[in-house]
Amino acid sequence: MKYERRKKQKLILKKDIPLYLMALPGIMVLIAFSYIPMAGMIVAFKDYHYKGGIFGSEWTDPLFKNFTFFFNNMENALRATRNTVGLNILFFIFGTIFAVAAAIMLSEIRNKRFIKTCQSVMFFPYFISWMVMGAIINALLSSDVGWLSKFLQKAGINFDFYSSPGAWIIILIVVVVWNGTGYNSVIYYGALTGIDTSIYEAARVDGATKWQQITKITLPLLRPTITIMFLLSVGKMLKGNLNMMIGLTNLNPLLLPVTDVIDVFVYRSSVKNGEMAYASAVSLYQSVLSFLLVIISNKIAKWYDKDTSLF
Amino acid sequence: MKSMIKPRIKSDDILIGCFYVLLGLFSLLCLLPILMVISGSFSTETEIAVHGFSLLPQGFSLDTYNYVLSRQMNTLASAYGVTIFVTLVGTVLSVTITTCFAYVVSVKDFQHANKLAFFAYFTMLFSGGMLPWYLVCTRYYHLQDTLWGLILPYCMNVFYMYLVRNYINGIPYELTESARIDGAGYFQTFVKVILPLSKAGIVTIVLFYALTYWNDFYLPLMLVTDDKYFSMQYILYKMNANIQYLATNSTGFGADHIALPTQTVKMAITCIAIGPIALVYPFVQKYFVKGVTVGALKG
Repeated sequence: MKYERRKKQKLILKKDIPLYLMALPGIMVLIAFSYIPMAGMIVAFKDYHYKGGIFGSEWTDPLFKNFTFFFNNMENALRATRNTVGLNILFFIFGTIFAVAAAIMLSEIRNKRFIKTCQSVMFFPYFISWMVMGAIINALLSSDVGWLSKFLQKAGINFDFYSSPGAWIIILIVVVVWNGTGYNSVIYYGALTGIDTSIYEAARVDGATKWQQITKITLPLLRPTITIMFLLSVGKMLKGNLNMMIGLTNLNPLLLPVTDVIDVFVYRSSVKNGEMAYASAVSLYQSVLSFLLVIISNKIAKWYDKDTSLF
Repeated sequence: MKSMIKPRIKSDDILIGCFYVLLGLFSLLCLLPILMVISGSFSTETEIAVHGFSLLPQGFSLDTYNYVLSRQMNTLASAYGVTIFVTLVGTVLSVTITTCFAYVVSVKDFQHANKLAFFAYFTMLFSGGMLPWYLVCTRYYHLQDTLWGLILPYCMNVFYMYLVRNYINGIPYELTESARIDGAGYFQTFVKVILPLSKAGIVTIVLFYALTYWNDFYLPLMLVTDDKYFSMQYILYKMNANIQYLATNSTGFGADHIALPTQTVKMAITCIAIGPIALVYPFVQKYFVKGVTVGALKG
């Protein structure tokens, strides 16, 4: 009996060998680029020097030395956090408004060819890299040759976009909307095509106008999807987009009051300037808080809708 | 017959008309900036310097492209080579690794399937952040200034893995089961049954990966300092960072004191960088639309 079971177990293992082999490369990539960097977070408690690396450098004395820097220079971390969270919230609000509006409009239109064309044209900006986007923005806003700047100059307004951080809140929102509306509207459009059309039939029989159908039926039906998308974005609230900021503004120091999100800050201080102590503390703070946010938003999403599992 | 037709509400027609107009306008706005870039690349530098950029080319000329292709040929050819190599090799490698992993995770009677799925899933919940990643890649793996450094870190995108897994889970269990009964091993089942049936999903992640590699700027930014490994996106970055970058880098131009065509050159190189994407886009966009719908919410 015991022998039998052992034999069976061995058999299972043998036939599973191809599965282990097929999973192995993926496992290795995950270990190398996700799990070992997680272990590397201990650098926040080390006196980093290149020779020792993460694991060979000495522990700081006291252990929280890097964090005392962090708390003594709270303004930097606070500004970065405020920018990251603030921009992400604005991106979500405006991104959702445009994406939902586009999806609803698409779903009301009957002309199939028009729908297809619109969808593919609106999706196109998603394929544009941030570097290309930066070149486009520059062609629009640069004070000597930019299309918009020239236009404003003709109207007698001299406005230098590249030295006014405030304007970049709007510019970044516009770019994000431009970039993401096509992509996100596909998600909402997908949710809309799943709605049972008999509800609309009934509403029409009752004499409801299109506008009433949209506000009274479509929007409420989209609410779960919007909520889930919101919770998804809460998990990413503390992640700043370094590529976007470099692509669009080149980390222009004049614009940093708005564009200095956490990732930009960590990049500037550590990769660029080699100041590991402070950056590692900020980086650890971002990772841990992000993790908490993801876990909490996951829990809420599960509670809100049992069928969805979030990332 | 007539009574069947419901009375049309006039305000509805107006509303739908508005929808057509608004969607049309927004679609137009999605294309105009690109049009401006293309026009800029066909304009002459002096016209741009005086009037700024506009939607239509000013003083149509091919001078910029002539200049770019004659003076910057080496830089551009090398960058294009790096980008194409990284995109091709990276996509093949990533898709193979991701699809294999997705299959393993989807095998129902594999005892460790759930553990492996969680092993991947956890990296989406928690990440060590950019700094430890950077230190590990440079200090321990020595990936700076290598082509592998531009490929390996992206080889296992967990989101795409789930996307493929969703497709595989959609395949009727009887099909894989009957293959197994016929004596096919896991690997054979994967190649003969799973791959052909999840083609749509695989095409989607092929495109997503290719786009990721083509547009990637993060890895070059973190890991590349040597011009040999500059990709197209990195050239664009250098160009945006310092308008004179290409001018100072062009050899044998020192004697000329003519204004260098920097603004139009920027636009021309931007066009060259998005050209392949724009060409392929019409043929592949439907896969993206499908992929987003499938992958987005089913998790």
